[in-house]
Amino acid sequence: MHLTPLIMSSSLIIMLITLFLPILSTLSPSPLKAQWALLSVKTAVKLAFFFSLLPLFLFLDQGAETVVSTWNWMNTLAFNITISFKFDLYSCVFIPVALYVTWSILEFASWYMHSDPYMNRFFKYLLIFLMAMIILVTANNLFQLFIGWEGVGIMSFLLIGWWYGRADANTAALQAVVYNRVGDIGLILAMAWIATKMHSWEINQIFILSKDFDVTLPLIGLILAATGKSAQFGLHPWLPSAMEGPTPVSALLHSSTMVVAGIFLLIRLSPMMENNSTALTICLCLGALTTLFTATCALTQNDIKKIVAFSTSSQLGLMMVTIGLNQPQLAFLHICTHAFFKAMLFLCSGSIIHSLNDEQDIRKMGGMHHLAPFTSSCLTIGSLALTGTPFLAGFFSKDAIIEALNSSYLNAWALILTLLATSFTAIYSLRVVYFVTMHHPRFNAFSPINENNTAVINPIKRLAWGSLIAGLLITSNLLPLNTPVMTMHPRLKLAALLVTVLGLITALELASLTSKQFKVYPQQTFHHFSNMLGFYPHIIHRFMPKMNLMLGQAVATQTVDQTWLEKTGPKAICSLNIPMASTVSNVQQGSIKVYLSLFFFTTILALVILLI
Amino acid sequence: MLKILIPSMFMLLTTWTSPFKQLWSTILMYSFLVATLSLTWLAMPTDTGWFYINNYMAYDPLSSPLLVLTCWLLPLMIIASQNHLAVEPENRQRTYISLLISLQIFLILAFSATEMIMFYVMFEATLIPTLIIITRWGNQMERLNAGTYFLFYTLAGSLPLLVALLIYHSSMGSLSYLSLTSLPLTCSNLYADKLWWMACLLAFLVKMPLYGVHLWLPKAHVEAPIAGSMVLAAVLLKLGGYGMMRIMIILDPLTKELSYPFIILALWGVIMTGSICLRQTDLKSLIAYSSVSHMGLVAAGILIQTPWGFTGALILMIAHGLTSSALFCLANTNYERTHSRTIILARGLQMVLPLMATWWFLASLANLALPPLPNLMGEIMIITSLFNWSFYTLILTGLGTLITASYSLYMFLLTQRGPIPHHLILLEPSHTREHLLLALHLLPLLLLIAKPELVWGWTA
Repeated sequence: MHLTPLIMSSSLIIMLITLFLPILSTLSPSPLKAQWALLSVKTAVKLAFFFSLLPLFLFLDQGAETVVSTWNWMNTLAFNITISFKFDLYSCVFIPVALYVTWSILEFASWYMHSDPYMNRFFKYLLIFLMAMIILVTANNLFQLFIGWEGVGIMSFLLIGWWYGRADANTAALQAVVYNRVGDIGLILAMAWIATKMHSWEINQIFILSKDFDVTLPLIGLILAATGKSAQFGLHPWLPSAMEGPTPVSALLHSSTMVVAGIFLLIRLSPMMENNSTALTICLCLGALTTLFTATCALTQNDIKKIVAFSTSSQLGLMMVTIGLNQPQLAFLHICTHAFFKAMLFLCSGSIIHSLNDEQDIRKMGGMHHLAPFTSSCLTIGSLALTGTPFLAGFFSKDAIIEALNSSYLNAWALILTLLATSFTAIYSLRVVYFVTMHHPRFNAFSPINENNTAVINPIKRLAWGSLIAGLLITSNLLPLNTPVMTMHPRLKLAALLVTVLGLITALELASLTSKQFKVYPQQTFHHFSNMLGFYPHIIHRFMPKMNLMLGQAVATQTVDQTWLEKTGPKAICSLNIPMASTVSNVQQGSIKVYLSLFFFTTILALVILLI
Repeated sequence: MLKILIPSMFMLLTTWTSPFKQLWSTILMYSFLVATLSLTWLAMPTDTGWFYINNYMAYDPLSSPLLVLTCWLLPLMIIASQNHLAVEPENRQRTYISLLISLQIFLILAFSATEMIMFYVMFEATLIPTLIIITRWGNQMERLNAGTYFLFYTLAGSLPLLVALLIYHSSMGSLSYLSLTSLPLTCSNLYADKLWWMACLLAFLVKMPLYGVHLWLPKAHVEAPIAGSMVLAAVLLKLGGYGMMRIMIILDPLTKELSYPFIILALWGVIMTGSICLRQTDLKSLIAYSSVSHMGLVAAGILIQTPWGFTGALILMIAHGLTSSALFCLANTNYERTHSRTIILARGLQMVLPLMATWWFLASLANLALPPLPNLMGEIMIITSLFNWSFYTLILTGLGTLITASYSLYMFLLTQRGPIPHHLILLEPSHTREHLLLALHLLPLLLLIAKPELVWGWTA
């Protein structure tokens, strides 16, 4: 065996074992020590990160990719399912990013959750989630991918509902699962189609075989799956609701890793998609709609976590647009850079929320720049990176996406929507920074503001470095698969920056207007639309459950089961027989005349029948 | 085969001769030994065909998982019933155990029969102990009604089967499984042939139960004591699926078109019973309706008659047997503490019984078919084979999975999460017995992930 694949696969195996060991140790019956979370889990993730760098370097240096097929799990007739891992560009780059972000978030969580009696369990859940995510990104088999896919979904259910005493948290957890399950129908559709037509769930074989088929139907299934998991328009409301979970959960699951799983699925299967213009157009329009709609919703939210959540949704829409542009690698780049600054934004907001006595409303914040300078600086860096400020992480991916968008011949409607959403990004990012860090404090005087804790500073610092240099590092080391457009008109080139600056200026103007109210009774139609999330949850979350629950009660239980099936079946037999039985038994009251006459008539009747 | 059957019969003797003090432990030990021994059935010396044939009994890859499930369930039923029978006098406890054991004997005979009439007789014989368990040891007055429903639905469905089998026998001269495949009935499309086809399947469709003839199941489940619910959900319903798979061979030429309405009815039932689950107030009834919903999928998988359909149906039957039995056990732990089946009276239990919450969670996940549990393997195989038949079935099956996930997690959230009501502060702690019971349900399920071929039937 050559040295490179040997090193590659063994370091990957070591990484997986390192991650798996703490989970195994929780199976021991003796209770875990209070320090277990920090000592065991965080260290494991940290070590795993360093182990995972080795394959990454090998990949960068020698272009080493490997597919590890080990165990023939099951086979029926001609259909085999093996355990096989795929370590290619996507998984080799994504795993270190995910581990790095998780490492920081775990350290932060040890501070954020320090008063929680079940901190060890919390860390265990996060670690299991991470394992599921790694299974998802490394899967070379749709069944294996499905395991990771559902695994992250269920862990997200547990983690959103972490504070299970609260009804809101439980509702949000259920909501997340139900929305994801709608997406899963799509994945099941794709799997069923692929199994019947191609007789294999191995991704490599699917790529080869998909050339011979019209794959529009399974692709629509996959897009539906991605819509559910990555909270695209139509199935988006679960993502902001998921902010009921603890902030580290929001940072890890609902910004940097799990929600990109849907996009990742499409990236992973993009060779299937690249020649199918229907699917690409659906992606493009869906993504553009999502990015604009959720950016619009983000504009008027007051909950700091909700704003960041909607911005995540908006960025996911942008990634979907990129897939629609047939640039999966750019979408992947955006996943990687986005993970750093979005996780950092969440950690900063978590730190601020804790500092202000669990206050999440940005109207009751302010002046944090003086009180928590480090956190607010990083919040600003994160917001700038999100808006695509040149040479921060977001710039490298976002600018490239907008360039690709501008220089393509595709749907102008989607293009305009995306550009508008880009300028909205600047507006809501500025709004967060403006309300949280600038001006005078608007919170209670006795807030326990203290960011001078290594468990707060270090993770945010690490992620801040990531937000500063990750884009540069990744773009300068990865060769793009598609040839980027090298020449273009300056206006096209600068479009992304221009709309961002335009948004920024508009936002500043609007911000200055807040203190100079011109109208006594302002017309707030648009504000209501944005603030009420486009009235989407109010319509769908009432209408659909009501329909289904009515079906369950009025139709299924009362009409069909209790009336038709019961009344016409058993009860009808009953009510038919009881009158006859009671008539016959009522006749027999011991009087001889009745018996004799009955005997007589029966005999006559029998004789008549016999004789005729 | 006799290695298991004769010890099972002698268990009856042990029940009546062992000293009362050691009654439960002896029988438990004994039945576990039988169950362990029965695991040898899973080893298939060759790829296909029948094993351990004697004159009347044999097993093949289709029946062995169900046989093992039958044997595995007896000790679990005994563990589960221990608490609620503790207040009964000695001879009634012995009677109860004897009934459970006789049920196992009948089930072994039914699953291992090599001949249709033998299967039919045993199929009917299982009604007797079950009926006695439900109507004698149920809790409410409604148990009598439930017993009537149970008996009459099943009997009314299965008497036509007897006639149909006799017709077949009189024209073919044999009802042995071993020769069924080589004796194809020349079916013309006569009206009488269609009736015969219907008669052959009706018994099993009622037993499954198919949506439309399912009313007896929720009633029986709700009123039965825990062991009755367990065996009903885990094994007795599977008699229907098993019988269908067996008889499908001789029905082959007719099934193609005639089965369409039943497939649709079964799938429609998945959605309807799922919606009923969303509105249930009664925990046991919820689990019972979820059984109907899952078995609808099984019925559709069998009627579609492809290798994947059969395999998926068998996997789902085994997985559902363990899962729903586990759920009934969990419902029973609540029932023994709160003395009510109403869901909203037992909320927020995670606070009081944290380890139980873990079992609830695992069982709910199994019920909603989380990959890679065998439940999912079964469901996805059935969904795929249905999809292969018609694209539109995916709308029904997909909605079915969505609703299943909703009510399973709703059940979990409602019973385990949230603040604990004040009347539940003084609860009995969970027993080791109960944890053992649930571990023995869920561990086989988890272990099956590693080697699902064991329950794959003919295509393994």
